[in-house]
Amino acid sequence: MNAPEDVATRVEAWLAARGWTAFPFQREVWEHVAHGRSGLLHATTGAGKTYAVWLGALRAFADVAARGAAPLTVLWLTPMRALAADTARALEAPLEALGLVWTVGIRTGDTSGSQRAKQARRLPSALVTTPESLSLLLTREDARERFAGLAMVVVDEWHELLGNKRGVQTQLALARLARWNPRLAVWGLSATLGNLDEALAVLLGGRAGGALVRGRVPKDLVIDALMPATIERFPWGGHMGRNMADAVIAEIETTEGSTLLFTNTRSQAELWYQALLDRRPDWAGTIALHHGSLDRELRDWVELGLKDGSLKAVVCTSSLDLGVDFLPVARVLQLGSPKGVARLMQRAGRSGHAPGRTSRVTCVPTHSFELVEAAAARRAARAQAIESRRPPAKPLDVLVQHLVTIALGGGFLSPELLDEVRATHAYRDLTDTEWQWALAFVVHGGSTLGAYPEYCRVAVEDGGWHTVREAAIARRHRMSVGTIMSDASMELRYLTGGRIGHVEESFVSMLKKGDHFLFAGRVLELVRIHEMTAYVRRAKPGKGVVPRWQGAKMPLSSELAEAVRELLDRARTGDYPEPEVAALAPLFAVQAKWSAIPAADELLVETTRTREGHHFFCFPFGGRHVHIGLAHLFAWRAARERPGSFSMSVNDYGFELLSPEPLDWDAHIAAGLLSPADLDDHVLASLNAGELARRRFREVARIAGLVFQGYPGQPKRTRHLQASSELFFDVFAKYDPGNLLLRQAGLEVLEQELELSRLRAVLARMNGAHLRLVRTARPTPLAFPLMVARIREKFSNEKVADRVARMLAELEAAADA
Amino acid sequence: MLETELAGERVGLLPERALLWPREATLFVADAHFGKDAAFRAHGVPVPAGADGETLAVLDTLVARHDVARIVFLGDFLHARAARTAATLAALAAWRTRHGGLRVLLVRGNHDRHAGDPPPALAIDAVAEPHRLGPFAACHEPADCDGAYALAGHLHPAYVLRGRARQAARLPCFLLGAHCAVLPAFGRFTGTHPVRPAPGERVFVVAGDAVMAVPLSSAA
Repeated sequence: MNAPEDVATRVEAWLAARGWTAFPFQREVWEHVAHGRSGLLHATTGAGKTYAVWLGALRAFADVAARGAAPLTVLWLTPMRALAADTARALEAPLEALGLVWTVGIRTGDTSGSQRAKQARRLPSALVTTPESLSLLLTREDARERFAGLAMVVVDEWHELLGNKRGVQTQLALARLARWNPRLAVWGLSATLGNLDEALAVLLGGRAGGALVRGRVPKDLVIDALMPATIERFPWGGHMGRNMADAVIAEIETTEGSTLLFTNTRSQAELWYQALLDRRPDWAGTIALHHGSLDRELRDWVELGLKDGSLKAVVCTSSLDLGVDFLPVARVLQLGSPKGVARLMQRAGRSGHAPGRTSRVTCVPTHSFELVEAAAARRAARAQAIESRRPPAKPLDVLVQHLVTIALGGGFLSPELLDEVRATHAYRDLTDTEWQWALAFVVHGGSTLGAYPEYCRVAVEDGGWHTVREAAIARRHRMSVGTIMSDASMELRYLTGGRIGHVEESFVSMLKKGDHFLFAGRVLELVRIHEMTAYVRRAKPGKGVVPRWQGAKMPLSSELAEAVRELLDRARTGDYPEPEVAALAPLFAVQAKWSAIPAADELLVETTRTREGHHFFCFPFGGRHVHIGLAHLFAWRAARERPGSFSMSVNDYGFELLSPEPLDWDAHIAAGLLSPADLDDHVLASLNAGELARRRFREVARIAGLVFQGYPGQPKRTRHLQASSELFFDVFAKYDPGNLLLRQAGLEVLEQELELSRLRAVLARMNGAHLRLVRTARPTPLAFPLMVARIREKFSNEKVADRVARMLAELEAAADA
Repeated sequence: MLETELAGERVGLLPERALLWPREATLFVADAHFGKDAAFRAHGVPVPAGADGETLAVLDTLVARHDVARIVFLGDFLHARAARTAATLAALAAWRTRHGGLRVLLVRGNHDRHAGDPPPALAIDAVAEPHRLGPFAACHEPADCDGAYALAGHLHPAYVLRGRARQAARLPCFLLGAHCAVLPAFGRFTGTHPVRPAPGERVFVVAGDAVMAVPLSSAA
């Protein structure tokens, strides 16, 4: 039975036996792998990607004649350890039928001690792991020998890693492996992105070539919206569109199979789940909740329920965005703004896996403008205007961590490691000065001139060999490898001991004993707090506060904002190319009558006066992050002329500045309110960037190994080595102001939190636009949501509802007049 | 300085995060945590030096500005055993030499138990808590002391002031109760821990160079 090229023949036989035929793109990948090429395989949805690379690897590297299991040959990186088990199962599936003595193993933070011990003796032929666990393997002194037989690395869900520091960590690890084996094949699997060429370049680092393979051509994609019964003319975000709950229930009811309901935040997921159960108590047990703060066991149960089809509906967050190949469903709803095109397409791909069925996602608007966003998303998807993910540029905190990792993993010589690090995309422009600084930071602390006394993390031996000598430092480093930032979170447990999940410390600190709150779809009562655990008991159903998680609110993507602007421009002339926009005609009528609908080449600014004071509304459609920057910039520039204080509010469409005194905005604009001159300095000054950087430093400090979370099970013994990142920030700022980690925190604030490049582009567009300044008698449909958002910051929920109801009644009356 | 009355004695709450008892020319200082940065460095965590120097300079200023004959450290004088480096001890010795006439007392705290007493050359009397001084009981950990008003540290108390638009400022504070006052941490390289005042407790925050009373609603 052993003909020479056998794995290929056996693969064909295995496929045929199951009634499958290989897709052309799979054969394409096999061909590339057979020729030793690397590449990136991308597709909007689903199946086939795994076997494209896996069978390609087996065809290229497996030996049918081998008697013992192959040594570690394929490394399979997955961004979520939750996906590791599913992946390993998929990889194992064909092995027996192919008659290959390959072993598949998993190594993640969840891997048991006995498994680790087994792997310490011998790694499996294919190892499924995470970027963090791979870095940990690299800290082993014998790392190089253990990876000696490695022929291929597969990076699954590369789009999830590309734009963040975990991706940078992956790049560094790949550079290490590629140095040991220059012929190493690297394959990325990715969802559709706007910058696929860049995604490939980042994956391969300095190495040229590499194939870009497009996966299965997407099935027909339908993006539609659930139409509300009545159109609000004065939309406001925040009441969560629970008036849509009945329509959502009807959708779930008429769907055969499971429905996924995606929300944008964990709080929204909790609220929607509760809203559904309130209306359909009989659904308890057949609908479920899934988000990243829930206990793993709970999430596993939900995922299992989706797999075997026993769950009717699951309300979830991006926690279910991954694992596309494993959990197909019948119907997908997006609750609230879609925010981005790529994400919506990805979510749509979860439905319609049966042959001949279309992928469909239905947007459920929580206020009427979200109807425009649904239509905009459809148009952007059709035009393939898909978001890009920008890879980070040379984050020094990750580099500092990597230096210690490599010092542990056998040690290094500076020039050699610099070459290797520069081979990555992230550090290709690393200057000698930056390198020397990072090196000095782990060797002396501070800079070479201002060496820190008694400090030594990495020691330099004779001949310039950098290693870690102290076992305690090694142990602590291994405990803190990684770049995932978890907020200071508290474990939630029942008094009886069962784990429920995690909430942020800041949320718990606002609760008093006996307070009720909503979590995991239950009303819980806080009983006591001990160390980092909050003990609760079930409370009677009823009211409870909903935890807020501090994850930054995602802005509307540029691509989507652009499509929204275009739709508004056409609505201005009564042209409604999409039904969702046509439904909003009553809203547009009021907007046009009281103010104007902005044309594509216009910047709309409204001013109005209410009992609250003098309002300035500006609508650049730049996404909320950009608007935060612009609001502060405008307020700061206006206050230079005459000091005053403003209240602010932002959303994805625009921002509001409210002042007790009237301001001459015409004059301010003429005097350069929108000027790009000194933009960076002004943005920094206006935002109290120091404070933002101080907060940002949390992540930097954790990755660079300053803040240590402690060993599991013995938090106390390291107490005297713990200090908050804010404290570190202050100490560095005072006593070592040249520290480059401080500068990095500042840059991250500008580029990631404030999206300065996007702000610059939006400001340039505003400058080129025709200014339309309208004084309105009262807040318009575009302005109203901004006012509500500001009020929500100030008052409790009940008070907000009252005030908004009053404001609405007045505006509706005026609109009807 | 903000003057108030505790246990029938007039005291001053200093924005330098210390408490002055003028009648006895006594300065109370909690949680100096000397050598904390050195301890971090010794364990491979890079922290620049400089905090101790500033902490001592602030003490110099206070001694120069006010009539101080005695300093009482309310625990956590040295941060850890690894804090006893030559540089730390030399800086402390130099400071002590500058103030030879001062009486210095240390009420041992939890960190002192691990770090050990200050070297004898520093001429600091180390005692156990509670240590009676007139109507006061000098402590490290907040406690109810029979017949005495406790002055303590340990908590590193801070109060979070919330303003509009989700603005919040976390400021070190004095927490003054019926039987016990908790001082903010004095060391320049120390963190803070937010406290929630119990009914009847008063909070004074340190905001820059001022100490201000926080108006608390009775419900809080």
